[in-house]
Amino acid sequence: MYIHYHNCIFPQQTALPGGLVTLLPADGNQLKAIEPSYDGVPPGLLRRMGKAVRMGTGTALPLLKDLRPDGIIIGTANGGMEDCIRFLNQIIDYDEGMLTPGNFVQSTPNAIAGQLGLMTRNQCYNITHVHRGLSFEQALLDAAMLSMEHPHRNYLVGAVDEIADYNYNIDLLGGWYKKHPQENKDLYEANSPGSIAGEGAVMLVVNGQPEEAVARLRAIRSWHGTNPEDARTNIEAFLQQYTDGNIPLLITGENGDNRLLPYYETCEKLLPGSAVGRFKHMSGEYPTAAGIALWLTCRLFEGEALPHHFYKKGKENTAGPVLIYNTYKGEQHSLILLSKK
Amino acid sequence: MSRILITGIGAFSAIGDNVAANRQALISGQSGIRTLSNFPSRYAGSLPCGEITHSTDELKQSSGVDDPGVTRTSLIALQALREAIADAGLTPEQLRSSDTALINASTVGGMCLTDELYHDANNDGLAGSPFLSSYDNASVTLFLAQHLRIGGIQNTINTACSSSANAILYGARLLRHGFARRVIVGGADSLAKFTINGFKALHILSPAPCTPFDAQRTGLNLGEAGAYLVLEREEDCHDKKRYAHCAGYGNSNDSYHPSSISDEGEGPFLCMQRALEAAQLAAGDIDAINAHGTATENNDETESRAMIRHFGTPPPFLSTKAYTGHTLGAAGALEAVFSILQLQYQESYPALRFNEPIVSTGLIPSASYRSLPVTHIMSNSFGFGGNCSSLIFSAV
Repeated sequence: MYIHYHNCIFPQQTALPGGLVTLLPADGNQLKAIEPSYDGVPPGLLRRMGKAVRMGTGTALPLLKDLRPDGIIIGTANGGMEDCIRFLNQIIDYDEGMLTPGNFVQSTPNAIAGQLGLMTRNQCYNITHVHRGLSFEQALLDAAMLSMEHPHRNYLVGAVDEIADYNYNIDLLGGWYKKHPQENKDLYEANSPGSIAGEGAVMLVVNGQPEEAVARLRAIRSWHGTNPEDARTNIEAFLQQYTDGNIPLLITGENGDNRLLPYYETCEKLLPGSAVGRFKHMSGEYPTAAGIALWLTCRLFEGEALPHHFYKKGKENTAGPVLIYNTYKGEQHSLILLSKK
Repeated sequence: MSRILITGIGAFSAIGDNVAANRQALISGQSGIRTLSNFPSRYAGSLPCGEITHSTDELKQSSGVDDPGVTRTSLIALQALREAIADAGLTPEQLRSSDTALINASTVGGMCLTDELYHDANNDGLAGSPFLSSYDNASVTLFLAQHLRIGGIQNTINTACSSSANAILYGARLLRHGFARRVIVGGADSLAKFTINGFKALHILSPAPCTPFDAQRTGLNLGEAGAYLVLEREEDCHDKKRYAHCAGYGNSNDSYHPSSISDEGEGPFLCMQRALEAAQLAAGDIDAINAHGTATENNDETESRAMIRHFGTPPPFLSTKAYTGHTLGAAGALEAVFSILQLQYQESYPALRFNEPIVSTGLIPSASYRSLPVTHIMSNSFGFGGNCSSLIFSAV
């Protein structure tokens, strides 16, 4: 599968080349997306959209101006969490009284793909993968299968999740965010459990055609389980099956949570010659954050130098393959291998 | 290309604890729509539902699960999944293998715990509940895979009311592409204040047991269920029991409105068309249809139009939602099981509570239990967000 176009809305400046050089700070352990003005979306419609739907459609629509994809495939763990809990609060606060359905309809995770189908009058394949920290990876696998079935057709693949106070609270109670104030520029120095919250949307247009592609998805693998040995076995098997061991750049999902560091260190040790990059100080942690790593790889392949703060070790300077390893809460893991051609 | 066979089925709904009990209820026209008995909602007395009568504690006991974070949805799913696995004769070694995939669907997930979620999400000073990682749709899949030690690809799909039809479709494609050798596909949802109030706010819940395709229909009844199918490639099946093969599937978007279907049923029409194309069948080859048939004003009329556009006079059809209620994320898989039973036993079930046809379309669903020669059966599922899917199962 080949990636041809990409777009991203996340907590850093994405519009201009070099916009990533200045790291924008987190506020209250949350990194919130920098949303554009969403020109072209009718204001009435925009007002009714929750943030996830807004970010998702706002990231996709610029890619769909002159292109009609034959499928809309979205990965999102929660979809419109804010609408979901707003409706929930109505139920409890008004003791199941007379409620308005707007939040309920917007709260279903398939609202992003559904809204995109509606706004672009697209009646093709339309699906939403919600497998928590592997939602985006499953969307990619779906698109990869479609690209093999119909190499000449274009597909839109997306990764979207939002921070709402509510999922922030639930994951805070679960111990997944830091209890003390944490600046994102020092995220990896904290040596404590938990990360900082993030959000974002990444959209890609893919097909089975190599001509003029930005990147090629060479392989993807996912697994479940907290055993670090499983991680080692899976990474080793993946490297053996799909690479010659030469991976100039490894991007990991390191997120400042010292409980997850051993997984990433395992991967780094298996690739001692690779430069290592990290991105969650830019995006924060969220279930479909691996999409950001993929989007950064596309920018790199297009010739943009990634900022100094991205690199943990060394600096990538060839067009060789890029490996992305991400784990969500140590329970869900994925490897994504990309190359320029 | 090797065919995709169904080698095991499991179902747990308001009309039965297993596949055999579900079939008995369908044969005898016994509805599971009743007043809620173990569900706290102010609508418990006024809005009938397809409720599974076992309490959550009973389900915990009967399944031997004592995990404090387990939800009703997961327990319902587990029972149906175990039946499907046993039916297909999958061994623990096969389940553990990295080529056994689990593709699950849910729209409610752990949100059946509406009150617990309220306290956790608003962080109202109480300590977190045991359910902090049990609310999302994926929690059901993760529980099932962990509990039964399923070793391959896992995925969770949510396309609202067509979710588990898409789980079946996705599982079949994983097999075709060689990403798995066997897949367990299906879905589960339980009744929740969240969905009852959501559909209530949309004014599409019926105060009486629902009457699909009837001119005087007054809306849908919600239900709860779990249903799973085991799919395997024919070349791997050898002398295994085989119920049917998954001949075709189609997915489309109606692209009309977030919560209702276009007048001419464009999305339903397209997904049926794509399923027929994938199965390389003509409309006239379809012997029976399991309709989506929610009994809302909008669905039944637009679905009828889409069926008429394809079939002229459609083959025998009915909506089993009059028996089970609309089981949301489980519906596509539950009705796939019912369709497979029709194929297996060459029979058709009675449509319940139907009196007079919709004036503009005039379609009349199957009236009584009877034997019916079925070689190809179509099952339809349409959801919010315009998500429409159609599946075709064929005799082997």
